[in-house]
Amino acid sequence: MAESHNSLSGDRFLAYATLTPSAFVLFLLAGVPTVTVFLTSMQDIGMGETSGPFIGLDNFIWALSDPTFYSALWHTFVWVFGSVSIEMVLGLGLALLLNRTFVFRGAARAIILAPYLVPTVVAVMTWRYMFHDIVGIINAVLIDVGIIDGPLLWLSSQSLAMFSVIMVGVWKFFPFAVIALLGILQSIPQEQYEAARIDGASPFQQFMRITLPYVMPVFLLTALLRTIWSFHKFEIIYLMTGGGPLDSTTTLPILVYLKAFSDFEFGRAAAVAILTFGILCILLGGYFILIKRAEARQ
Amino acid sequence: MTTTFTASTTDAAPRRNREMADVQYLATRAMTYLLVLTAVSVIGFPLFWMLLCSFKPGGELYAVPPTFLPQIWTLQNYRDLFVQTNFLTYFANSLIVAGGATFASLVIGGLGAYSLSRFKFFGIGAFSNIALVCYMLPEVLIVLPLYIYVVKLGLADTLFSLIVANTAFTLPLALWFMRSYFNAIPVSLEESAMIDGCTRLQAMMKITVPLALPGIVSVGVFSFNHAWNEFLFALVFTSSETKKTLPLGLATWIGQDNIYSWGMLLAGAVLVTIPVVLFYLLVQRKLVVGLSEGGTKGE
Repeated sequence: MAESHNSLSGDRFLAYATLTPSAFVLFLLAGVPTVTVFLTSMQDIGMGETSGPFIGLDNFIWALSDPTFYSALWHTFVWVFGSVSIEMVLGLGLALLLNRTFVFRGAARAIILAPYLVPTVVAVMTWRYMFHDIVGIINAVLIDVGIIDGPLLWLSSQSLAMFSVIMVGVWKFFPFAVIALLGILQSIPQEQYEAARIDGASPFQQFMRITLPYVMPVFLLTALLRTIWSFHKFEIIYLMTGGGPLDSTTTLPILVYLKAFSDFEFGRAAAVAILTFGILCILLGGYFILIKRAEARQ
Repeated sequence: MTTTFTASTTDAAPRRNREMADVQYLATRAMTYLLVLTAVSVIGFPLFWMLLCSFKPGGELYAVPPTFLPQIWTLQNYRDLFVQTNFLTYFANSLIVAGGATFASLVIGGLGAYSLSRFKFFGIGAFSNIALVCYMLPEVLIVLPLYIYVVKLGLADTLFSLIVANTAFTLPLALWFMRSYFNAIPVSLEESAMIDGCTRLQAMMKITVPLALPGIVSVGVFSFNHAWNEFLFALVFTSSETKKTLPLGLATWIGQDNIYSWGMLLAGAVLVTIPVVLFYLLVQRKLVVGLSEGGTKGE
């Protein structure tokens, strides 16, 4: 009796002792900052200051009545949905391809997954060199083939900059979708396909009736994760264009950074950051409903 | 229709069918290889181009139109990188920051994950969910208050501040992942060790941790990779040349954009990528397994 009681209380002690460091770190590095950011968002903070007088919700009112907020919101949606939808379609296609058997499959897989492992700053530098107006390979090839007459300003024209940035984002992050989808594709029971083939189903029908429903929950979950991360994504856009030319690639995270560390308006930056997180949470709610439905259907 | 066809040509039809199937099979094969070849060359090109151009001499990098293969192969860019820049300092700083954050999140997260996996107590579900939320907090949201603390505590421009800030993002990842790895190891193994006279802690260190080692290694790789690539905190927290990490150091060169820097930039890019590739080769199999088993953080 006594011994079992001892081991139980010993267990409880160990349970709390092992969890405490994590709880402490998360509290200090996520909990406290979240509270601080709310407090900051309600202060009028001048240049070089880190706190100031309370002004209630004025910073939020400023953000919601400022056109730069809405244009940043629009750019964020273009960036997120542009890159995530291309990534997911490309990712599914390549996962289906890599799921087949062929010689050098290991090597092909390594090359296709490589962009995901490359540090963002490396991806950005390489692409910026390739996108270069004059010495870049992309313009050189396109002119050589005859698709364009003169060099395109991939990063310094307002109409092309977002497209170019999305291209780099897709290149860097589509392998995540490939990895996730390849995992689920490999777990589909092969008997299902055999049964479908005996029943005379065409490859297209097999894809629509077996493959697609099977991968759908993972597909949506992957899209969800990619949406969250690209919503936050700061450095690809910052390093490619710095949010420019003018504000044509300024997404919400870029706006937060510029407000805080270039205009030094911490209060307003905090308000925009909170609004960004709020919008993301609404999006997540939508995704969760979709995923639940897909799981229920399966 | 098919029935009359097969009935009337009993002898020739199967052979023709087989030939048709062969042709179709070959066409599918050819198509597969064509698609794979296209995908590999398009996706692999930027990295191939980076590597190739890092061996071109300065003048050739600015040739219009660009040369494909270097006409003169040179290591000049790599030499310049070490002689003219603080590349080695950046490299050392990145190692310290990424190593420190990985160590912290493995030790702290490993203990926490063990607790989450093995014990049932009040608030445990809530804690896992809170960790998940922390994991989704935007970096730009957290960087503002953390910057305020860093300035107030006099930690601005220190590598320590970067280690701590990176841990905030790698710890939730470590917690979630290691919990699932620990969950996969039967408790009965620990229980039998305890019957044989081990304490709970000994059972954990001698049985569970060694068994979960593959998982722990892949969490370590993820954490290291995340911190190795981290840019925003480095940009905001550090300012002096001696405290820059690799991503920040290279990024400031892009900003300068002077006419001779591309060679060094590309050489730097190649060298920054090498540790990541080595790591990947080290844990390749586990990485893919780990990624497909649970949701993970990007980068």
